[in-house]
Amino acid sequence: MITKTISTNVYDWVDERLGISGLAAFARKKTVPVHAQSFWYYWGGISLFLFLVQCFTGVLLLVYYRPGADAYESVRQITFVMKFGWLIRSAHSWSANLMMFSILVHMFSVFFMKAYRKPREFGWLSGMVLLGLASVFGFSGYLLPMDELSYFATKVGLQIPAAIPLIGPTVAALLRGGPDVTEFTVQRFFALHVVVLPALFVPLLGFHLWLVQKHGNAVPPSEELKPARERKSMPFMPNFLRKDLAMWIIALNILALLASVFPWQLGKAYDSLSPAPLGIHPEWYFMSPFEMLKLLGKVLPGESGEIAGLMLFTLGIALWILIPFYDPDKESGRRGRNAHYFGLLAVFALLATTVIGYWTIR
Amino acid sequence: MNYPFWYVPYLGSGWVIGIIAIFHVMISQFAVGGGLYLPLAERKALREGRADWMKELRGYSRFFLIVTGVFGTVSGVGIWFSIGLTNPEATSTLIHNFVFGWAMEWVFFLIELSTVVVYYYTWDRIDPKLHLKVGWAYAGASAATLIIINGILTFMLTPGDTWLAVAGTGQEASKFWNAFFNPTYWPSLFLRACVCASLAGIWALISASRIDTEKQPALKTSMVRWSMNWLVPSFVAMPFLFGWFLYMVPATQRMLLTLGIDTIGTGTFSTVTRMALLIVMTSATIIGVAYYLGYRNPVEFNTSHAIAILMLALVATAAGEYSREMLRKPFVIGRWMYSNGVRVPVALKIDDQGYLVRSPWVYDASSSYSRGEAIFRGECASCHTLNGYRPLVKLLAGRDAANIANFITMLHEHKPDSPYYRFMPPMVGTRQDVQDLANYLNAQVNPPRAAGSILTAHK
Repeated sequence: MITKTISTNVYDWVDERLGISGLAAFARKKTVPVHAQSFWYYWGGISLFLFLVQCFTGVLLLVYYRPGADAYESVRQITFVMKFGWLIRSAHSWSANLMMFSILVHMFSVFFMKAYRKPREFGWLSGMVLLGLASVFGFSGYLLPMDELSYFATKVGLQIPAAIPLIGPTVAALLRGGPDVTEFTVQRFFALHVVVLPALFVPLLGFHLWLVQKHGNAVPPSEELKPARERKSMPFMPNFLRKDLAMWIIALNILALLASVFPWQLGKAYDSLSPAPLGIHPEWYFMSPFEMLKLLGKVLPGESGEIAGLMLFTLGIALWILIPFYDPDKESGRRGRNAHYFGLLAVFALLATTVIGYWTIR
Repeated sequence: MNYPFWYVPYLGSGWVIGIIAIFHVMISQFAVGGGLYLPLAERKALREGRADWMKELRGYSRFFLIVTGVFGTVSGVGIWFSIGLTNPEATSTLIHNFVFGWAMEWVFFLIELSTVVVYYYTWDRIDPKLHLKVGWAYAGASAATLIIINGILTFMLTPGDTWLAVAGTGQEASKFWNAFFNPTYWPSLFLRACVCASLAGIWALISASRIDTEKQPALKTSMVRWSMNWLVPSFVAMPFLFGWFLYMVPATQRMLLTLGIDTIGTGTFSTVTRMALLIVMTSATIIGVAYYLGYRNPVEFNTSHAIAILMLALVATAAGEYSREMLRKPFVIGRWMYSNGVRVPVALKIDDQGYLVRSPWVYDASSSYSRGEAIFRGECASCHTLNGYRPLVKLLAGRDAANIANFITMLHEHKPDSPYYRFMPPMVGTRQDVQDLANYLNAQVNPPRAAGSILTAHK
């Protein structure tokens, strides 16, 4: 009885200052549409969960990781000496890959459900920036162990920014901290990975999530056509939340399975003088852009061709980002259909170039 | 060494057993647990006069008949085929000891298979009380098969001192009951009984999850909840039973579990720890999903939730059986026969006479490469492949011929301070055998260079 009075008083005191009851009322009222495509609503949440896993395991790795000349040795200690260090490192690497995957699924499901249309343009744009930041997270994190594979893959990967006309070489040199990938590069990538990127990512993620609350879940065009009384929905609290959490648990189990059955390996320490090992290739989520640039380079030979290829590639990405302005609302008609075909083309190009990329590894 | 060696490229012959056995265990333990589930559920329905339950159970028993009667039996025979091919020496030892055990088991199989058919086809055709008795007969027979096979499975991990004292004398079968009720028999039996009950609940949940929530919410609620109860004993008792089981396992074997806490990599043996982590993780998830989604909100429990639980159970079962196999290292029959079929007391004799002395399975006995290949197949291939699972080419990569020979010599000497002492059997044979195996492996790891065929590194 007394405890109840105390807790009520504490709640009232906090509520008066922060207005929690407004939030609680909002949460009680919030609903999520139910239809054949509802499955795709979970992918944003899965990406968020994997990001939280990244933060948690990342902080644990940060406790023992030492950038600079000691980088390889510290990762070796984490993997082979620290208790369960291998597990944390495996989970971090695997969940990074799973996060990229779920972000991509989330992006394409948003695209095909036309959830970028009015009033959700900012959701789409912030999502694109988050994807960009996530891939820089991936790229910078990949180098940190400084084993043979990460060293040479980073060397190859930095050719992409280096190919940008005019500013490219400067950008690449800035990232590398010199003409070649060295300890200084690790130091820079480390700063990027644990300070700069989180500082940009977290507030933007907050904005992205706030937008979802503000506008609610978008329904696909096929649902929009139905009269309001035929549309179904479920309360967010507790029904959708429960299902969302179930998805998180499934993601956690898949992560545990991958991290324990296929623990992330550590190669030999890098040696800048040794030749690159066979079959150096970018991570799977960079394979497609890497291969596209390579193919464009073949079609358009020479230096001017390389620049043209890069321009074409940039144009494609720009079109993708600006899609909400081409197909702004449900009155778009033909433009809506064109956007749909553009999406299919993008999926096809992504898959095809990835397959070609892996096919042609030597 | 009187048997031919069965080498399965990439996968390894052990995994042929593994894949069949994990599938079989999922179904056979369901057959035992489900055998108890059906009559108990039928009894409840009879007592409470619930016609809707009866209808559900009838549909469920059809599914049960097909899954256990077809897939369970076929995969069981598959285990016989694969263990005979993969490890004929161990299979032979088991048959010599347990031939009467298996004879008894097969009698129960026959009863099991006939009663389940009678059970399904006599719904509504005979007196309900008699029908229920058929169900009980099935339950008893299927439980008996588990009670018997458990003795043989646990024997392989812990044969017990009494049996080991007569092993190799030709009198092994005289200690049948000691071998049967070996140190891990009881903890393992209770563990498996719990798993059987949970599998019965999990498969029943799949069937219950398909009941239409909008048409029969009461039926769905009662069936989902009742099936969930079958998971309870297992999750209450499992940690204690598992502790008991580990306590009965020899300390040297138990140490394999702690090894993986701080080490990982292609060359180290932390698999047991990793599998144990998986078991804990998946079991905890099953409890969570079962309680929050199933027990608290049975009407919302749908087939994908049920299948998710089944998949988790599959992972837990696979991880459990895999770690049980791993715990046995470096033996296939504890302290008596090494994983590659070499009997422990015979090892010294082979060192003296040579591994291939009685083997007609060498392609060309005058070639070191051929002899090495036969030794590889006989001594290494029960756990390793060349390029697939536990790949020797990758594990030995970076070593030259002399280095590989030194490594094999270390395995041959099998000193207690060797890092491989606890997991790997000694490499048995003469000096020449060591050299032949080293030559063969070196030819795989460092293939002789053919002019112009070597790819150059990227520019």
